[in-house]
Amino acid sequence: MARSNPEARNFLKGIAFLSPWLIGFLVFMLLPIGLSLYYSLCDYSILKPPVWCGVDNYRLLFHDSLFWQVMRNTFYYAGLSLPLGLVATLGAALLLNRRVPGQSIFRTIIFLPSLVPFVASALVWMWIYNQKLGLLNAVIRIFYVPLNALLRLLHLHQHSPIQPPWIVDANWIIPALVLMSIWGMGNQVVIYLAGLQDVPRELYEAADLDGANAFHRMWHVTLPMISPVIFFNLVTTMIWVLQVYDVPFIMSAGTGGPNHASYLMTMYLYDNGFFYLKMGYASAIAWIQLMIILAMTGLAFWTSRNWVHYQGK
Amino acid sequence: MRVLLRSIILIVMAVAALLLLIFGPSSEQRPPAGREHDLVIHYWEKWVGAEGRAMQGIVDDFNNSVGLQKHIYVEYLSISNIDQKTIVATAGGVPPDIAGLWDGTFVQFTALDALQPLDDLAAAYGITEGYYKPVYWNACHYKGHLYALISTPASVALIYNKKMFQENAAALRAYQCDPDRAPRTIEEFNRYADALNTYIVGPDGKKHLDRAGYIPMEPASNWYVTELPFWFGGDEWDPVNRRFTLTDPRVVQTYDWVQSFSYKLGEDAVGEFSGAQGGFNTPQNAFMMGNVAMEMQGPWMANFIHQQNAKMDHDWAAAPFPSAVPGLENVTYCPWDGLMIPRGCKHRQEAFEFIAYVNRQAVMEKLCSIHCKNSPLTHVSREFLEHHPNPYIRVFEELASSPNAHTTMQCPIAPEAGADILAMIQGLVAMQKDPQNGKVITPAAALAGIQRRITATWKNYLKQEQRRELAQGGG
Amino acid sequence: MMRWISKRSAPGVVATYAALLIICAIAIVPFLWMISTSLKSDEHVSDYPPQWIPIPTVLSNYKTAIRTSGVDFPLWYRNTLIIASLSVIGTTISSAIAAYGFAKIRFRGRGLLFGLMLATMMIPFPTIMIPQFNIFEWLGTHTGTRWIGTFRPLWFPWWFGSAFNIFLLRQFFLTIPDELSEAARIDGCTEWGIFWRIIVPLSRSALIVVALFTFMFVWRDFLAPRVYLQHPAQYTLTLGLQAFQAQNGNTPWNLLMAASVMVIAPLIVLFFLAQKTFIEGIATTGLKG
Repeated sequence: MARSNPEARNFLKGIAFLSPWLIGFLVFMLLPIGLSLYYSLCDYSILKPPVWCGVDNYRLLFHDSLFWQVMRNTFYYAGLSLPLGLVATLGAALLLNRRVPGQSIFRTIIFLPSLVPFVASALVWMWIYNQKLGLLNAVIRIFYVPLNALLRLLHLHQHSPIQPPWIVDANWIIPALVLMSIWGMGNQVVIYLAGLQDVPRELYEAADLDGANAFHRMWHVTLPMISPVIFFNLVTTMIWVLQVYDVPFIMSAGTGGPNHASYLMTMYLYDNGFFYLKMGYASAIAWIQLMIILAMTGLAFWTSRNWVHYQGK
Repeated sequence: MRVLLRSIILIVMAVAALLLLIFGPSSEQRPPAGREHDLVIHYWEKWVGAEGRAMQGIVDDFNNSVGLQKHIYVEYLSISNIDQKTIVATAGGVPPDIAGLWDGTFVQFTALDALQPLDDLAAAYGITEGYYKPVYWNACHYKGHLYALISTPASVALIYNKKMFQENAAALRAYQCDPDRAPRTIEEFNRYADALNTYIVGPDGKKHLDRAGYIPMEPASNWYVTELPFWFGGDEWDPVNRRFTLTDPRVVQTYDWVQSFSYKLGEDAVGEFSGAQGGFNTPQNAFMMGNVAMEMQGPWMANFIHQQNAKMDHDWAAAPFPSAVPGLENVTYCPWDGLMIPRGCKHRQEAFEFIAYVNRQAVMEKLCSIHCKNSPLTHVSREFLEHHPNPYIRVFEELASSPNAHTTMQCPIAPEAGADILAMIQGLVAMQKDPQNGKVITPAAALAGIQRRITATWKNYLKQEQRRELAQGGG
Repeated sequence: MMRWISKRSAPGVVATYAALLIICAIAIVPFLWMISTSLKSDEHVSDYPPQWIPIPTVLSNYKTAIRTSGVDFPLWYRNTLIIASLSVIGTTISSAIAAYGFAKIRFRGRGLLFGLMLATMMIPFPTIMIPQFNIFEWLGTHTGTRWIGTFRPLWFPWWFGSAFNIFLLRQFFLTIPDELSEAARIDGCTEWGIFWRIIVPLSRSALIVVALFTFMFVWRDFLAPRVYLQHPAQYTLTLGLQAFQAQNGNTPWNLLMAASVMVIAPLIVLFFLAQKTFIEGIATTGLKG
C-alpha cells in the first residue's frame, strides 16, 4: 500500500506535466492523422461531405503516371541533396572547427542562408539562375575559357551548354534546386559544430601519439565520436527533403515544371487538395508520403546500429 | 519573493494576452463614417495596380450612388491566389459575398455547387441573352443556368511589330510576303516567321537566334498555347458528348505546328526566348524589346507597351490571328474575368445590386477602357471605340463578336486538364526525348498519353459525381 | 579548445583558410547580389554583363516597394511579429513543462509516450494539413469564434508543446544533476516548485535556443499561412512577398529584391544579437545523445 502510493503519485504528476502536450497530441496530431486516413478512403471535395469509396484513391494513385513521376522527382531530389548536403555540411563544419583567425565570422556567414525565408531565397536564386541575365551564368561566362577546356577534357562539351538553362530546363531544374538547398543547410553546420566541441581532447592526443595524420584523426576519432550528430542531421534532413514545398513552388511559378520536372510530392498533394478539389486523393498521397518517411527513418535507425557510437550515458 | 512575483506577473500577462487575442476583436475594416448602418458586401478581387484602382473607382462610384440609396457598402479587397482562397473560405463557411474569379476555375466551382445561380436576379435587371455577345453569355452558363456575369472580358489576336516588318521588307518579299500587312493564313504566317528570323554569331563561333519571327511559348507565362487548336478547326473538349478529344487529327496538327518551331530554330533558342528574358510585365519582355515580331495577345498589350516601351507605341498593329483552315476566319479565344456569388453568401440580392451596376453599359465601358480590354456587351458606344487606349480595339471587338469565338472548355476538371496539357506542350517544345528509344517525342504520342490519363481522371470524376448523388438521394 | 592543431600544420591553415573563403563566398554572394539588385534602376536591372555596384544607386526602390499597390510592409511585420511572438511564448512554456515531465519524473509509460512523441516529428505537415483545417472549421462553427481566416490556427497549436522543442529541452534537463531536485524535494518543495525555481533558471540558454529556433521557423513559414489566412490585412511577410511576386506575373526584380531584403533583415539582426547564446545553447543541449 505504501509503495504503490508514490508510484501512483508520480504517474499523476507525470501526466500532469505532460498534459499540454498530450492534449495537443490528441487533438492536433492523432485526430488529424485518423481523419486523414478516413479522407483517403473517401471522395472528398471539401465543399461537400466526404463519401466513402474504399481503396479507390489508392488504386487510382497506383495507375497515375503523374504520381509515379512525382515520386521519381522527389527521390531524385532527395537522393542528390541528402548525401551532397551531408558531405558539404560536415566538411564545412570540420573546416570551421579549426582555429583560424576570423572563425566566428565564417561561422556566422555560413549560418546566414538558413535564416532566410524560403520564399525570399527562392526569388533570389530564380534571379541568379536566370539564363541570360543571372549571376551564375555571368560567372560561368567569366571563366568561360578554363571551363570550356575542362569540359572538353572530360568529353562533356557535347552534353553541356556553356550557358546552362537552369530552371527553365527539365534536366537542370532538380540539380538547380539541390544546389540551392545545400546553400541553405547552414543550421546543420552549427549542430555539427556543437557536436565537435564535445569530442574529448584525450582521444586526439592519443591518436597523435600513435602517429596519426589529419585524415586518420578525422576518420578514426572525429567521425565516430560525432556519429550521433551525423545521425540526427541525417534523419531530420531526410524528413525535410521528402516533404519540401516552398522552394519548388516558387521556382517553377507554381507549375511544378518545366513539364512536371520539379513537381514534388507535397506540391502534388497540395494541388490535388486545394486546386483540383480532390481532398480524398490528396489525403491518400499524404499517407503514402508518411509511410515512405516512416520506412526510410526506420531503415536509418536499423542501419545506425552499425555505424553510430554513443558516448554511453 | 521577487522571483515569484515576476513569474506571476508574467503568467498573468501571458494569459491576459491569450484571452484578449482569442476573444478580442479581429482585424476587420470598418466602413467609413456615416455608413455604419449599411449592409457591408465583401468583394474579393484579384487585381492590383492600375487595374485594381480602376475597379476601386467603380466601387466608390457605386457606394456613392446606388449604394447610398439602398444602404449598401461594398468593401473591395485585393486577394492573391483568389480561387484557392475562395474555395477555402467557402468550405470554411466564411465566403466573400462577391468573388472576382476567372474563367479557368468557373466550371469547376459551379460543378461543385460552390456558386449561386443568378438567372432570376439577372432577368429582373434586364440582363438577358441579347445583352451580351454570344460567346460571353454562353461562357457564364453551366448546365443551362447563369452563374456569373462578366467584369472584364478579352479576345486574342495577332500582335505584330510593323517596324520590324518594314526593316525586313526585303527578306519578307523574298518569301513572297507583303511587309505592309499581316499574314492571313497559317501557311503565310509560317513564311513571315521564317523571313523575320535573324541570326548573329555568338562567342562560341556558332550561329545564334537574335530576333525571331514567332515563338509559340513566348512570353514566359505561356498564355494561350493550350487554346491553339481552335485556329486549326479542332477542340480539345467535345461539349456535346462531354469527352476529351486530344487525339483529334486537328489537335495533333496544331501541336505539330507548335513543335515545328523548335525544329526550325533549335530548342535552345526557343527556351532562351520563352524562359530567360524576364517576365511579361517588365522591360525585358521579348516582344517589347523588339526581339520577337509576332505574338498572340489580348487588347491590354496597348497599355503594357505604352508602360514599358512607349517608343513602340506606333510600331505595332493588331489583326486576326490567322487560321489553318481555308474559309475559317476571325477565330479567337475569349478569356474573361467575372463576378460570382459563392454559396453561403447571405445577401445575394444586395451583392447582385453591385454586379448589375458594373454591367450597366456606361460603367462597363469605363472599366473595360481603363483595363484596356474589349466590351462583353452586344451594343458598344462610339465613344468607347474612339477613346479607347488601344487604337486597334475594333479588331478585338469584331473578333469577340465573331461566330468563331471560343472560350475555355466547359469541363469541371478543366484546371487539371489544362495543367497536364501545358506540361505536355512544354515537353514538346523542349523536344524531350523518349527515354526508351531516344527519339524526340511526337505530339501524336504525347497527346495520346495525355488523352489516356485525362480520360481516366474524367471517368473517375463522373463516378464520384454519381456516388455523391446516390449518397445525397439515399441518405 | 582545439589546440591539437600543432604548429606543423601551418600550410594546413592556409589551405583551410582558402577553402573557407570559397565556401563563405558561395554562402554570402547571393545576399550581396540581392542587395545589389535591390538598388538598381529599372534600365540597369537586366544589364549584360550584369553590374555589381549599381550606378545609379536607387535607394528609392525601397520606398517604391513599400508603397506599391498590394504591398504593406508595416502590416506584414506586425502580423508576423504577433504570430511569431505568440507561438514562441506558447511553445517555450508548454514544451518546458512537458520536457520536465519526460526528464525528471519517473512514471509508468513514460518511455512509450516519449517514443510516440519522437514519432510525431516524422509526420509531415501536409499529412495533417487538411484535417487540421477541418478541425478548425468545426471549432469555428461550434464555438462561435472564428478560426479560419484569423491568426489563431497559426499560433494556437504551439501552446501544446512541439516535439522538436520538447526533445531538445528534455535532453538538456537530463544534464542537470538529480541531486538538486532531490535536495529541493527533501526541503518540501512541490514538483512544480522544483521545475519553476530550480530547473528553469538553470536552463536559460536552452530556453533561448528553443525560443529562437521557433521564432525563426514561424517567421519563415509559408504553407500554414497560405492555408489559413485570407484577408490581405492578415498577410505575413512570406505570404505578402509571394503575393507581391505572383500578382503581377513577375514584378520588376529590383523591387522584388528590395522587398526580400526587408523580409530577411530583422532575422539577421536578431541572429547577430543572439549569436553567442545561440551557438553555445545548441552545444549544451547534448543533442548528440
